[in-house]
Amino acid sequence: MIELESAEQTGFDFAGLVREHQSMVFSLSYHFLHDRELAEEVSQEVFLALHRHMADIKSGEHAVFWLRKVAAQRAIDAARRRKRRPQVALEEVAEPAARAVVDDPMLRDVLRRLVATLPEAPRMVMVMRYQEDLDPTEIAEVLEVPVATVKSHLQRSLALLREKLQRRGVGGY
Amino acid sequence: MDWLEQELKHALERKEPPPGFAARVAAAAAGGAVQARRPVRMLPRWLPAAAAVLLIAGGGAAYREHQGRVAKDRVMLAMRITAGKLNHIQSHMREAKP
Repeated sequence: MIELESAEQTGFDFAGLVREHQSMVFSLSYHFLHDRELAEEVSQEVFLALHRHMADIKSGEHAVFWLRKVAAQRAIDAARRRKRRPQVALEEVAEPAARAVVDDPMLRDVLRRLVATLPEAPRMVMVMRYQEDLDPTEIAEVLEVPVATVKSHLQRSLALLREKLQRRGVGGY
Repeated sequence: MDWLEQELKHALERKEPPPGFAARVAAAAAGGAVQARRPVRMLPRWLPAAAAVLLIAGGGAAYREHQGRVAKDRVMLAMRITAGKLNHIQSHMREAKP
């Protein structure tokens, strides 16, 4: 078995990793927390943790996996510290004025707010699925949950979002 | 992938962090002068309740102590009055004796 070299041996550059993955880490936190300031704090925590564990990073792929995993954990921790589960109550989500059309920025804002109202676990699954384009198996590995759980969260969340949007007269085109 | 999933992909696409984020992280990692913002340290949820219980318990103890002092002062006052009365009666009796 070939032993992979550590980050130090392979010459990983911490600043380079931050530059390359800052939007991924920040967006995972932001879409989960729906709070830019808190997302920035969480992202900083994640990268500082990466800095402390640079010697354990074996490859670029490993860095991405590690960052996604730690970002998810830290964002969930931050949400629990905040003790206000959804920042936006479902009832407060603005209703789109008319039937949605493709490239409708208002619909996307509504969708972001609706995702922010989901409970922790399905919310993180949805962010991993649609922000990072991960399949259920990859999400299950990152979040350390069974694949069936991931699929169930996805199905239920999509059904819930669809129902909320249809109630507002949006969708189905 | 249906319309909703396509819209979700657009809605949840990656966003750039605020300007200077990478520099703040690098500075914090290097222990430099530019400090990264400190993570929010929320107080434990039970802390206000515990503080309230301590205040109520402490206030109760202080009130009971105060009540004790008041009762003691009243007893002392009653004893002084009684002693005065007794002295008065005693002096009357002495005067009344032939």
